[in-house]
Amino acid sequence: MNKNLKETIESKHKEIEPLFHKGGKFEKFYPLFEAQDTFALTPPDVTKGNTHVRDAVDLKRVMFTVVIALLPCLLWGIFNAGYNYYHYSGIEANTFMVLFRGALIVMPIVLTSYIVGGIWEVTFAVVRKHEINEGFLVTGLLFPLTLPPTIALWQVAVGITFGVVIGKEIFGGTGFNILNPALTARAYLFFAHAKDMTGDVWAKFRYFDPEVGKYVDGKTGATPLGLGASYGGQGADVAERLSSDGFSLATIFGGLMPGSIAETAAIPILLGAAILIVTGVGSWKIMAGGVAGLLGTAILMNFLPSGVVGDVTLTTWTQVPFIYHLFMGSFLFGIVFMATDPVSAAQTDLGKWIYGVLIGVVTVLVRVTNPGFPEGVMLAIIFMNVMAPIIDYYVVRGHIAKRNAYLRKFSYAKG
Amino acid sequence: MTADFKIKNGLDIPMEGAPSDHVRSVPLKGTVSVFPSEYKRVKFKMLVEEGDTVKQGGVLARRKDQEDFLLRSPVAGKILEIKLGDRRSLQEVVIEPGDSNERETFSKYTVDGLLKTSRAELLALLKDTGMMALIRQRPFNVIADASVAPKSIFVNGMNTAPFRPDAHVLARGKNEELQAGLNALTRLTDGPVHLCLSAAKSVTPDVLTKASNVQVNYFDGPHPSGNTSTHIHLLDPVLPGDSVWTLRVSDVLRIGELLLNGAIPATQTVMIAGNGVKPELRGYVTVTTGMSLASVLDGALIEEETRVIRGDALYGDKVDLKGGVNFYDQGFVVLPEDRERHLLGWYAPTTEMFSAHKVVPSAWVKGKKFSFGTNTRGSKRALVLTGIYDKYVPLDIMVDPLSRACISKDTDDAIALGILETDPEDFALCTFVCPSKTDFGAIVAETLSLIQEEGF
Repeated sequence: MNKNLKETIESKHKEIEPLFHKGGKFEKFYPLFEAQDTFALTPPDVTKGNTHVRDAVDLKRVMFTVVIALLPCLLWGIFNAGYNYYHYSGIEANTFMVLFRGALIVMPIVLTSYIVGGIWEVTFAVVRKHEINEGFLVTGLLFPLTLPPTIALWQVAVGITFGVVIGKEIFGGTGFNILNPALTARAYLFFAHAKDMTGDVWAKFRYFDPEVGKYVDGKTGATPLGLGASYGGQGADVAERLSSDGFSLATIFGGLMPGSIAETAAIPILLGAAILIVTGVGSWKIMAGGVAGLLGTAILMNFLPSGVVGDVTLTTWTQVPFIYHLFMGSFLFGIVFMATDPVSAAQTDLGKWIYGVLIGVVTVLVRVTNPGFPEGVMLAIIFMNVMAPIIDYYVVRGHIAKRNAYLRKFSYAKG
Repeated sequence: MTADFKIKNGLDIPMEGAPSDHVRSVPLKGTVSVFPSEYKRVKFKMLVEEGDTVKQGGVLARRKDQEDFLLRSPVAGKILEIKLGDRRSLQEVVIEPGDSNERETFSKYTVDGLLKTSRAELLALLKDTGMMALIRQRPFNVIADASVAPKSIFVNGMNTAPFRPDAHVLARGKNEELQAGLNALTRLTDGPVHLCLSAAKSVTPDVLTKASNVQVNYFDGPHPSGNTSTHIHLLDPVLPGDSVWTLRVSDVLRIGELLLNGAIPATQTVMIAGNGVKPELRGYVTVTTGMSLASVLDGALIEEETRVIRGDALYGDKVDLKGGVNFYDQGFVVLPEDRERHLLGWYAPTTEMFSAHKVVPSAWVKGKKFSFGTNTRGSKRALVLTGIYDKYVPLDIMVDPLSRACISKDTDDAIALGILETDPEDFALCTFVCPSKTDFGAIVAETLSLIQEEGF
């Protein structure tokens, strides 16, 4: 059956292939044909050049592994969106209803991202005559997972357009971009549509509007980071206050609370991290560096006084127990899936450590010292994306100096 | 034997089709060809014409830039045809072997006598016989320039790539030839002559481990621990302005044969391996230099479309069966041309196709040999993953920045990053493992020739 299917597909492809070649009717759409053809069947190409054998790995497998690693987060996001919907609407619901409702909320967002982003990807592939890169499978899923479930679909469409076109294609496509395209898309929405990306926008629910006389959709949901920012500069036991507002450490870790679609729960993200690390697809150095940087800075912050010190008003956040920083907000999701994007991250081994640590440091600095932005992960990663080439530059200069020191131990030839 | 150098970076590709130790002879059939085109970038002036007869070792041509560097015939016979290529460059001289046993003779030496022979005398003989071409020079891996004294000479007796001939097999019973060749090399440099051997293969002492007057170094670790660049990097790295000479054990044996017998060796032993060769015929064959490949491989190949590779599967040239055994040849790997397509193969959890990446299930299978064909096993994409290549290069070289410097033609940076220490073959493993199917060897080769042309 498998073999017959394979032969049928192979012969069908052979039949239509000439249409996409030079002089064919659909010559322009060759990238589309190539994408479909190599998706269904591995290419029949044989090696050219001096290296005659190749490893069984290809970029499709690498990229799809990231998608697989994201699936636990997607499933959790669906469940959580459904749960919050019924929770805030005050309706009792069973697991099936929760999942169904969650899928109704989340899947349109994911599909919009894939379809609109995909159209841009294909358009550029056709115009630029390059192949469709599988990296889009990741970008197209990463982006919606960082959005609030209440986001409007047209905003998703505009966001992914900005991410793919400005974040990636104007630099020359996958492999040439400076910033992570998914984060660029999110940052665009964050600044251009701020009121839909911050505040009580993290859960969708339904209520009876007496003015209209029928049920309408609403947005709500405080997040621990949002609450914490609202506590202002009054020193108090922050953990206790958060707990009394419904955000104990267990809730923050468990993730059954409002937030971006995939950011709230630690376990699915850690599962994804495990997949990325075991398969070697994601850099564990960046992840470990990020966690170390975050915890280290958060611990240092704990030693600062809170409240007004001289001219500076420090927010309550200095006093948040450091472990909260790890599980609050989207730090875990960002460091596991966004910071490890190999194109926009630092590329040298040492550079990856520095890059990861600094993302952790900047995240805490933004969270704690900037009352304007409750969350700092997105900005920290984008900032470090920009800095990554500089980090690499100095790591490479250091490497050259080390090389020269090694070479100097040996003598030159005479004459 | 305990290793002097333990190498961690690299990868031994578990490839099916390794050669046996068996050496057999294939008698000469048909014509013999000399290929001046195999000496890349060297131009020759023809000294004979079609129809002339030559002795074995008779002069055919000379280098245009060095009048005393000659090209000689491996057999006695009649010049059938002189083939010219683009811009009248000399491609091939076809010789029909005759019955006469007449041969050109040269001075004979004894093994110990060679230790007292002068450098100038040896170099003159090597150039006169054309055997100088067997001595290569780093940087750039070109024919050694006899006018410059190398700071050291490296003899490679290892075979970690899939597949190269085992020097221990080639040297079997040839202790005199080996020692004569090595003794001659000690006269060519003021520095040491390094013989580099595999620690694992030298457990039982043999001809190679017993070599004297040279420094024997033992290496341990995965491929490319057997590459000459690795040895030079660890023992005596090439600095800008330096010159280091390199040979393979097979080359030393041929030079030794010339010095002991006073005649150009007419035959050479080459390896035939790979799963494109019938299992019982994978091994070594002694053939006449210049004999056609079709007759060397006659009946040895499997009944499928195959690719014959001069060199090894990781770094070599695809060759036509119409060609012949080149002067430089020491082995051929034959692989099936694999054009088969697999349904959803890009994500099928295969354990049949080897991978070094843990993302493919076959990477978790230990101790298995895998079958290889020439399929690309994926399509070419932009370079995305970073930091995965360095663990396949044992030299102190960062592959990502170096390849970027090469792509942007920044030769200054490429030199600072160590390109002069390398040969394109050192990056073959990077090409092999690259998920984007990038050819790093080609990128480095292009920059190396750019630097060679521009000077540095």
